Amino acid sequence: MSASKSAAWKGVLFRHETILLLVLLVEWFYFNSVGRRFGTMDNTFDIIRHSVEIGLLALVMTPIILTGGIDLSVGSLLGLCAILFGKMWRDGGMPPLLAAACTLLVGAVAGGLNAALITGLRLPPLIVTLGTYSLFRGLAEAITRGADTFTNFPTSFLFLGQERLLGLPTQAWIFLAVGIGMWLLVHRTTFGRAFRAIGFAPEGARYAGIPVERRLALVYVLAGVIAALAAIIYTARLGQAKADAGMGYELFAITAVVLGGTSIFGGVGSVHGTLLGVAAIAVLGNGLVHARQPREVAGMLTGALLLLALSGGVLPKLLATWRARRLSTSQAKPQTSPP
Amino acid sequence: MKRLLPFTLAASLALFAGCKPADSTSGSSEASGGKKLTIALMPKSKGNAYFISCKQGADEAAKEVGAELLFDGPTEPDPAKQNEIIDNWIALGVDVIAAACENKEGISTALKKARQKGIKVVTYDSDANADARDFFVNQATPQGIGRTLMDEAARLTGEEGEFAIITASLTASNMNEWRKHIEVRLAEKYPQMKLVDTKPCDDLKDKAQAEATNLLSAYPNLKLIMAICSPAVPGAAEAVKQAGKVGTVKVMGLGLPSENRKYVKEDVTQSVILWKTTDLGYLTIKAAADLANGKLKAGAAKFSAGRLGDLEIAGDNILLGKPFIFNKENIDQFDF
Amino acid sequence: MTRYFRELSVAIALGVLLLVLAVFAPKFFEWQPMLSRLTREAPTLVCACGMALVIISRQIDISIGSQFAVCSVCAGLLAAAKVPFVLVLVASIGIGAAQGAINGALVAGLRLPSIVVTLATMVILREGLRWQRQGQFVNLPDGLQWFGLSQAAGQYTLITAAVLLLVLMAQGMKHLAAGRFVYAVGSDAEAARLAGIRPQLTTFLIFVSMGALTGLAALMNIVQSPQVDPKSGSGLELKAIAAAVVGGVAVSGGRGNLWGVFAGLLMLACVNPALTYLHVEAYWEKAIQGAIILLAVVADGVRSRKLSH
Repeated sequence: MSASKSAAWKGVLFRHETILLLVLLVEWFYFNSVGRRFGTMDNTFDIIRHSVEIGLLALVMTPIILTGGIDLSVGSLLGLCAILFGKMWRDGGMPPLLAAACTLLVGAVAGGLNAALITGLRLPPLIVTLGTYSLFRGLAEAITRGADTFTNFPTSFLFLGQERLLGLPTQAWIFLAVGIGMWLLVHRTTFGRAFRAIGFAPEGARYAGIPVERRLALVYVLAGVIAALAAIIYTARLGQAKADAGMGYELFAITAVVLGGTSIFGGVGSVHGTLLGVAAIAVLGNGLVHARQPREVAGMLTGALLLLALSGGVLPKLLATWRARRLSTSQAKPQTSPP
Repeated sequence: MKRLLPFTLAASLALFAGCKPADSTSGSSEASGGKKLTIALMPKSKGNAYFISCKQGADEAAKEVGAELLFDGPTEPDPAKQNEIIDNWIALGVDVIAAACENKEGISTALKKARQKGIKVVTYDSDANADARDFFVNQATPQGIGRTLMDEAARLTGEEGEFAIITASLTASNMNEWRKHIEVRLAEKYPQMKLVDTKPCDDLKDKAQAEATNLLSAYPNLKLIMAICSPAVPGAAEAVKQAGKVGTVKVMGLGLPSENRKYVKEDVTQSVILWKTTDLGYLTIKAAADLANGKLKAGAAKFSAGRLGDLEIAGDNILLGKPFIFNKENIDQFDF
Repeated sequence: MTRYFRELSVAIALGVLLLVLAVFAPKFFEWQPMLSRLTREAPTLVCACGMALVIISRQIDISIGSQFAVCSVCAGLLAAAKVPFVLVLVASIGIGAAQGAINGALVAGLRLPSIVVTLATMVILREGLRWQRQGQFVNLPDGLQWFGLSQAAGQYTLITAAVLLLVLMAQGMKHLAAGRFVYAVGSDAEAARLAGIRPQLTTFLIFVSMGALTGLAALMNIVQSPQVDPKSGSGLELKAIAAAVVGGVAVSGGRGNLWGVFAGLLMLACVNPALTYLHVEAYWEKAIQGAIILLAVVADGVRSRKLSH
């Protein structure tokens, strides 16, 4: 009884999420002791406001990576959706709400393009989304000729990105809702199990009766919709939409997901891990300003953290296999002597 | 998951406990006291030689006025990052923010918030919305830059012939602004000249060289290449040199003397236009410090800027002076 | 015929593009700008060859752009300090190989996924370099450009070197045991292990060669101008990956050859100038590049579906 209990505790202690939570706490207390105003409510809300878009992309990237896929196009799609939103509002004369609905639809269509190429033609997601990464950004530049900037949105719309609702930044509520939705989808429905199964073995999943194509299509379309949602929030936060919105966000999102313990090969991972990953990166970036360190240090430390997190998860396993192999070779020595 | 619950609870409790004490000590009393000023200086992007030379001047001024200088900016071409850093600085409680704005509208939201919290705001290099800052340290208006570039191009080509522009990226706001004014000037004053193409070089010298090579052969009548981002000037010059068109195709642009000295001396590049960037940084910090000390107030007509002497203030713009044209004769006198 | 379908289709696409240019913009074929363009692509070719090895072995390396920049700046600083050229060459390749060895050790030694490892090293190297250099150009001494030869001689030397390397590597991939190891590890690492190949060692060495080739490419780039831009090489990884994939290297590993990569690189390298010569506005550049990558993979996907039915 007690032995199994301690084993269970050990299991929790060495879980990726627990270690990441500890890292987050260490970050928090360190920066709080170094920077006088790091721990204020205002600053905490700043961290949240500035990481909602990348957080949304990371959330939706989680099921994609769980299936063993990847989506490099989300950042470019964010840019395309942002300027289309601006165009529909300013040039199309749509009210922001209608423009937002249409933008979500555009996101779904763009995600559908990825989905169709990946599932319909069984093409590798890395290459398909590398192509759409260029295509979406290129379209955004072509439509606006690079220069057209959409600004002067009504304050009722800017409320979404710059004000507070019930004590929290407005967009935090949306993020919370998407986060809970995604958590339920991945951890409490058969969809989530299907994603993992596909990530472990796509052929096996097919034989087990999982509609692999439909499930895959779902995650990529979902990614398109959430990228569009992030685009709207981004526009509201900045008060402007331009073709360069969201550049490089796909890499931040992937970093957060992988840091959160999701295996890039698919099959293993969690939404709460991703949330911790997003938080760890956001707190690091913000805290280093309070520690008066230049921006580059934040980038370097994020990279280092990623490597540490990965090798931390792998080392125990690796040691075990080495030990096992040494055992098996020492037993098998008589047979494998060189001829 | 259930087993994680105690951890999560403990953690969130700790976080909120951590919030309180720091919150209560925050106040805006330190700006008025005899404490050391903290001035935050933001470039449009880091790793850009232009802003590094601005920082040299800023360091000098910060030493003179005895202020602490923070220098930080986005490392990626991401307009949202500037807002984030401004917000960080507001939270950090700096006394003055001096920013070069990549995205006018976007950054103005953050700068207005800073002013509401009692932080003084100066912009330099490129302005924000007028209500988002106290003063703009004006080295040259977009109109001034556009005109100077176009006039110099006209002078070099004898006011006739084809020319092409190489810019950093199609989305860079300030360069788009300059291009607009170049085209306005072209339309109203130089009917014999024609802008045949505009290419982005991603702020890379190598790509600028490749683009210039293509332009030179695709437009055989090309008379001049105007490079409006600093890595593009040496890039275009190298392309002209390799194509053996030194002299027949002129090269000019906005850039640093140090990066172009070799080509200017070899007569590949005819003129490089820039204001004295170290002076710009120096003046920005001087103005920022005096603003915080209350020596510089809205409505002032003159500003005494240390080693730069008395400078004119037009409205809320502190004028640094005209852009400077570097050529073969004078380039050796400058080392930034 | 069917075996080299991908390589041939890329070559045909390249042919069509050149034909279009020959009809509508014959100036494209002027010798001097062509020579300049080819010289500019020589370092990219070297990197793309390395990338092909990496992808064939079912890995990926997105850090080569950062590696390239680090090698360029280090080599530039050494050259500026009047270190003899041969030593600069050795140092550049050595620094590249060392960076590759770090990636290789993490990927092969710790069995970490290469895309994440190289994502991390990409960021660390790039930010570290910016932190150290703050974007300042390195001015090179006079005798270094074109190895101190004339411009034409220098350009021919660089192109010859790159093509020679391509031929050697292509032949090596086909006829040497080491080349077959790469394919074997990429097709099925476990089967390769059972066949007596050491997959981890092979992977490690592939990353080391990727780094060394990047170092070589960096040197081939800095001898083309009198200054080193510390941002040079940004986006190089995407160019090399796109060239490999368009040229028929399968991201699932085990398939592809360097001649296809060569054709893919030439095609992608032609697109951008073609837009200038055909007077297409630059605003469409990225969209067209994306569309071309998509077309290439879609064509492949449609074909393989047909074959399987």
